[in-house]
Amino acid sequence: MNYIVDILLIAISAALVNNFVLYYFVGICPFIGVSRRVDMAFGMGCAVTFVISIAAILSWSITVFVLAPGALVTKWAAGFFVSAQEAAQIDLTILCYLVYIFAIASAVQFVEMYVRKFFPPLYKSFGVFLPLITTNCAILFACLTIMSKVVGVDNPADAWDLGRSLTLAVFGGVGFTIAIVIMAGIREELDLCDIPKPFKGPAITMIVAGILAMAFMGFTGVDSGLKNALTPPAQEDVQK
Amino acid sequence: MVDMNPLKPLQPMPLSMMQYFRESYIVQGWLVLMLCFFFGGTLSGVQLKLNPIIEENKANETKQRIPELLLGPSEAQQPLDLKLHTIEVEKKGRKVFYNVYEARFADGKLAGWVTKAVGQGYADRIELLLGLDPNAEKITGVFILDQKETPGLGNKIVTEKWRSQFAGKETKQLLTVVKGGVKADHQIDAISGATISSKSVTAIINTAVNDLKGKLRG
Amino acid sequence: MAEQPTASERFIQGILPENPVYRQVLGLCPTLAVTNGMKPAMTMAGAVLFVLVCSNIITSLIRGLLKPHLRIIVFTLTIATFVTIADRFLAAFMYDMSKALGPYIPLIIVNCIIICRCEVCASKQGVFTAASDAVGQSLGYALALSSIAIVREVLGTGMIFGYRVLPEAWPDWSIMILPPGAFLTLGLLMGTVNWFSERK
Repeated sequence: MNYIVDILLIAISAALVNNFVLYYFVGICPFIGVSRRVDMAFGMGCAVTFVISIAAILSWSITVFVLAPGALVTKWAAGFFVSAQEAAQIDLTILCYLVYIFAIASAVQFVEMYVRKFFPPLYKSFGVFLPLITTNCAILFACLTIMSKVVGVDNPADAWDLGRSLTLAVFGGVGFTIAIVIMAGIREELDLCDIPKPFKGPAITMIVAGILAMAFMGFTGVDSGLKNALTPPAQEDVQK
Repeated sequence: MVDMNPLKPLQPMPLSMMQYFRESYIVQGWLVLMLCFFFGGTLSGVQLKLNPIIEENKANETKQRIPELLLGPSEAQQPLDLKLHTIEVEKKGRKVFYNVYEARFADGKLAGWVTKAVGQGYADRIELLLGLDPNAEKITGVFILDQKETPGLGNKIVTEKWRSQFAGKETKQLLTVVKGGVKADHQIDAISGATISSKSVTAIINTAVNDLKGKLRG
Repeated sequence: MAEQPTASERFIQGILPENPVYRQVLGLCPTLAVTNGMKPAMTMAGAVLFVLVCSNIITSLIRGLLKPHLRIIVFTLTIATFVTIADRFLAAFMYDMSKALGPYIPLIIVNCIIICRCEVCASKQGVFTAASDAVGQSLGYALALSSIAIVREVLGTGMIFGYRVLPEAWPDWSIMILPPGAFLTLGLLMGTVNWFSERK
């Protein structure tokens, strides 16, 4: 029960309350660049969601099994060279940025090849966006968030498992899709408006994004409210 | 405009021996490998040199607050011996861990306990330090380590003025949040416009006090 | 092939005519995220300066050996390494700032400015030109960051670098230091810059 509530909260928080684009400002480049038409924006959103999920699975496994202090694979490999106790203390987290960026880059390459070979119609709809995604900050940001929830938490029971990490990634991608599709819808209308010349292009997009971000601020507190509604608050649990 | 795609197709042209050597895959692979070794060496050097400092920074963030939390701002200069315990509390089949610092004066007398507690705030998680007296009967102070509440409203929970309400409260009774003036001992005045943030902090403290009350003995 | 700009031209171009934020519209994620105060903005600019100079120099040194199909890998490797170093140094010597900037320091890796400068300048020109290009671009970036941060911090809190500049009676516009303020400020400033450069 607790676990389901947790998953639900992570999902809502990632998709709406702490929207990747409008709250954390990651993935702004495609948000400005590919939001001219709704269908293209939707394709980009799907591609990002897809890649972000794969990257999350990869980065979670790499962090838990290789990078974190006392991780299984590292312990086993280092066991050949140093004593078991020293091997358990090896901390490779300094390499995490390097490893993540290469994991993302290779994942994108493989996904592109796979989709082109086996799902040609899908490739036609969002294949063109795939290479662009490698340098999309949203993906690296999701990996880093997952890492911060896995390594260095005070309470070992709070460390995220694969389910939680994947939820964050998928719904982060969904949040990105929502934001970019709304933006594209507005920009299609903006084309018909009489905008002062210096503001055409990125400038007016930014201002619209600001208003959107204000609208999304209305979601603040939804997650904590839900949590209080779903799990018995501390007060009752104390008085028994 | 910036030329974003200057990748040009390889032109078939007669290569000299030197050029052929330069463009073979072995040389290219060797270059990447050498770079990897070079960067790997640099990084391990950085890690060895800086990691102790970073670890110390992380620990200090908590430790330097402890004297103020336990003894009040006026006597915060007094040195305390700190010892870290991890206390496990079983709650509804779920284990919860608290990192509790045991603080003793130089002469070995127990000064009190400081624990880290986390919980859901209005916007994000709130992380705070809670100071308790030696028998865990009174709260000696509260310090907010990390919060992302609304600027101008909820983030007033970090102000000394609001936090100081908690000092001296007894742990026998649960704290409750009221609006517009405190009437009883166990009440906390809410920040106007940020009742949920105030309630969240109080709930985190109530939970932590309740979990730890029986476990801390001098 | 067109004549490549000289070192001093590169330096000057980076600051205003080819300003990374206002002209090239690159690297917006950290631009928006860290400009809620001057201090984080300047720390970020410093980190970008370090990473950009180092990776431009390394790229320029090995440019003779690079092949097109491997260059992106080499760039990424170089950038990621220097970002890790910058991140560790911040955590060791400016712990508060490193905590405040959080994930935005590692996100420099995917900041398009750096890979773009490696590609456009450093992989084609000598070490000195590459270095001056890097310094010019970072100064331009710092200029853009500080222009946004000043507006946001003054209107949002009435302070600069934590020192009060507006009277106490100023009703802090909290919206300016919240996410929407970042978008609005950047949008308005970008429009203003366009307007000025068109009038010239």
